[in-house]
Amino acid sequence: MKAGAHDAIGVSADRLSKRFTHAVKGEVYAARDVTIDVAPGEFLTLLGPSGCGKTTALRMIAGFEIPDGGRVVFGGQDVTLLPANQRGIGFVFQNYALFPHLSVFENVAYGLRVRGQAGGAIGTAVSDVLKLVGLAGYESQFPAQMSGGEQQRVALARAIVIRPRVLLFDEPLSNLDAKLRVEMRHEIRALQQRLAITTVYVTHDQEEAMAISDRIAVMQGGTIVQTGSAEDLYHRPATRFVAQFIGRANLIDARVHDAADGRIAVDALGHRFLLAHPRAGMAGGGNPRLLLRPEAISLAKVVGKTDELVGAVVSRSFLGEKIEYVVECAGEQLQVVRYNAGPDDLLPVQAKVALHFADDVAILVWDDEPKGHS
Amino acid sequence: MRPGVGARLRAEPALALAIAILWVLIALFIVYPIAMLLARVFVEDGHFTLTGIAAVLTDRHQVVAFWNSLLLGTLVGVIGTAFGFIFAFAATRCRLSPTLIRLIDVAVLLPLVSPPFTMAIGYIFSFGARGLITYDLLGIKGAGVYGMTSTMTAEAATYFPIAYLALRPMIAAIDSNIEGMALSLGASRWRVFRTVTLPLCIPGLANSFLLLFAASLADFATPLILAGNQFPVLPTQAFLQITGLFDLRGGAALSLMLLVPALLVFVAQRYWVGRGHYVTVTGKGAGQAPFDSVTPVARWTLVSLCVAVTLFIVYLYVLLLYASLVVAFGANEAFTLQHYRVVFTEGLRVLGDTLIIAAIATPLGGFYGVLLGYLVARKRFVGRTTMEITSMVNYALPGTIVGIGYLIAFNDPPIVLAGGALIIIACYVFRYGATGIRTTIAMMQQLDRSLEEASESLGASSSTTFRRVTLPLILPAFFAGLGVMFIRSMTAISATIFVVSLSWTLVTVKILENMTELALGVAAAFSVVVVAIVFIVIFAIGRVLRRLRAAGASAVTGLLAT
Repeated sequence: MKAGAHDAIGVSADRLSKRFTHAVKGEVYAARDVTIDVAPGEFLTLLGPSGCGKTTALRMIAGFEIPDGGRVVFGGQDVTLLPANQRGIGFVFQNYALFPHLSVFENVAYGLRVRGQAGGAIGTAVSDVLKLVGLAGYESQFPAQMSGGEQQRVALARAIVIRPRVLLFDEPLSNLDAKLRVEMRHEIRALQQRLAITTVYVTHDQEEAMAISDRIAVMQGGTIVQTGSAEDLYHRPATRFVAQFIGRANLIDARVHDAADGRIAVDALGHRFLLAHPRAGMAGGGNPRLLLRPEAISLAKVVGKTDELVGAVVSRSFLGEKIEYVVECAGEQLQVVRYNAGPDDLLPVQAKVALHFADDVAILVWDDEPKGHS
Repeated sequence: MRPGVGARLRAEPALALAIAILWVLIALFIVYPIAMLLARVFVEDGHFTLTGIAAVLTDRHQVVAFWNSLLLGTLVGVIGTAFGFIFAFAATRCRLSPTLIRLIDVAVLLPLVSPPFTMAIGYIFSFGARGLITYDLLGIKGAGVYGMTSTMTAEAATYFPIAYLALRPMIAAIDSNIEGMALSLGASRWRVFRTVTLPLCIPGLANSFLLLFAASLADFATPLILAGNQFPVLPTQAFLQITGLFDLRGGAALSLMLLVPALLVFVAQRYWVGRGHYVTVTGKGAGQAPFDSVTPVARWTLVSLCVAVTLFIVYLYVLLLYASLVVAFGANEAFTLQHYRVVFTEGLRVLGDTLIIAAIATPLGGFYGVLLGYLVARKRFVGRTTMEITSMVNYALPGTIVGIGYLIAFNDPPIVLAGGALIIIACYVFRYGATGIRTTIAMMQQLDRSLEEASESLGASSSTTFRRVTLPLILPAFFAGLGVMFIRSMTAISATIFVVSLSWTLVTVKILENMTELALGVAAAFSVVVVAIVFIVIFAIGRVLRRLRAAGASAVTGLLAT
């Protein structure tokens, strides 16, 4: 069952495009110039809201759709026109897609039988992989008798038992309940690490993407707007869309001035800030905004007069480990999250507070619709 | 056209070949006969002419037949739908015991799976000149059973089960909590029924009216026996024109007058209430009513009505069985097996012919239905929608039109099939295979494409995927299609009466002959034998379907209602 890292291959999609004809809008791109490079053994996630083209991109990589333009390359081999059944992929579907007329054993054995393997080898491989996904002893059950989580494990076993060169997931966890989703994503990640299979994973859940992936490609309107690690995307989003899609964001109206020493001066919230990371060359379209994550802001009670940035607590939610505040400051409503430091830590509603944040956590983002989006 | 479609067809020569063969068959057995029928009526000496149709339209007798047909269809549609609704409502909302529902189901199924005259024959035994009720009970001498009332009653009794089968899943699918909600808001039960339940049923009622209207319009056997001289209708007039007067052109023109209302029904069904069809396939009951939908008085009225109608049908079939076992019903009622002796000696050949034809037509039609349904539902090719609609034509048209079309098309060169078994088989395959097509399409629509993609991703080729995944999953549709093919092959007459011959004939035609020769006992015996065979086959297919874990084990009988 083990595949050494040396077996893993790289996967790349080069400017993949897929058009369809819409009754009203005419020619529409489901995916446009999608380019990704997945290193051997890497786990890459396509993340985006529904309709962003991530599933279309994945289906072109799988071979279920023929692209109108671009290339798909598996380990140096151009597979763009190769049918799905000759690509050596393992595909896990959102709805599991288990064969309802076959038992768990026969579902898992299906790909091995197609490959003409001998009965004995099939039996061993199937029971090994079922053990791996924690379903030993379920061989004779039928899909209809199993829970959603169990069915997804069977689907996973069926996809990996054939030792695919590339593992592809299309929103595999979205039909499961919240708790199971968290459990399963850890298992998928652990399994992928253990088998070292190059993996492309599609989801709309940013938390899932961050928990499971080596890198994430964020998609919007058929194109990839940014690719990077979870930390990259969170701390250095390329556009306002990425900033809002990954985590929670305060996006504050800002005016930008040049400043010396590689720093940049920004007017926002009635104050002037000198930002440490100007993101040179990143200026996009639309108005610039100052991005402040809710946990980057600290609050302190103010008594009397001060020069500091001052606001008032509008509302608060006590969530146990943390407290979420909405603070009004210079006409902007800001979300602030503080970890609970004890019973005396709570700020009352209407309290006057000073807001602090470090220069290097605030960055500028632009509206900047990605190129080619119509 | 998208790039890739043509390329894929080239890459799958088997697919392209299957499509080509289907088109040839459709052209030959669906388009060609209809075209020949139209040509016979509208073309004379190479010129377009309206004289053929004008001759019919100016003949007062034939115009009366046209209006009679419409009147009969409308009455049967209304009455049959009303009874179908009462049965369906009682079965879903009156807390009947499952045993009672099963008994009702079996009883109302009888007319659907019998040769088309059985109800009419039973009717004559009961209400004819020597009828059990008219003569023996009421002492009426020379009772006139023939006419519109008898035809209408017999047709309504024969076809209302269609409305029942179509409406029952629909009413069951109405969440009774909606009714409970209205009740909790203070509405009376009658008001809830009038303002909530009934409006929700209107699409289903419209659909079932159309189904019954079409069935009555096309019905040939019942009026042939019961309508008499005073109430001519189009299908029988067309038949008599051809077999009595040897006027093929006049018969064809008459049958064409059926075409207009039949086409209107087809269009209305497909584009107006067509969606109701899927409710019957996928509809799931919303559970047992959590409250009483009807008052006790209403409940007892409905149940009594249903039981009375059911008993009436059973009574007619018991008469039929009894008549097959006595020397001469109404005259000499001594027990005898003579009629059955006739069936299994002289009648053996016709029984054999029918079974041979059914045995060949059934698998062919089942295969044709699944193949065409699969291709239309899953593959992309030029003319796909045209193929789907064309494949329904012979099924949607009244049998009389189809039969006369076959008679005209295959009697003379270039293609002579008349006199053989093939013409009968083709008639069945391309008429009743349509049920299999519709079931397969409906089934494929419920079958997620990802199953086939999963197989493909695991390395299976297109044909392996079809064989190991798709085929096993649409097997229920195949068996249901087989069931319908067999039942129809055993019981149909309206189209095939025009294509039987001395060398190949059918039980239904033989029954008709016996009726006209007044060998009523033999006709009854034949009918009983056919009903028995059909019931055995339905039972066997039901077992197979249950084995296949099919969702709808009653699919065969359900399909007769579409």
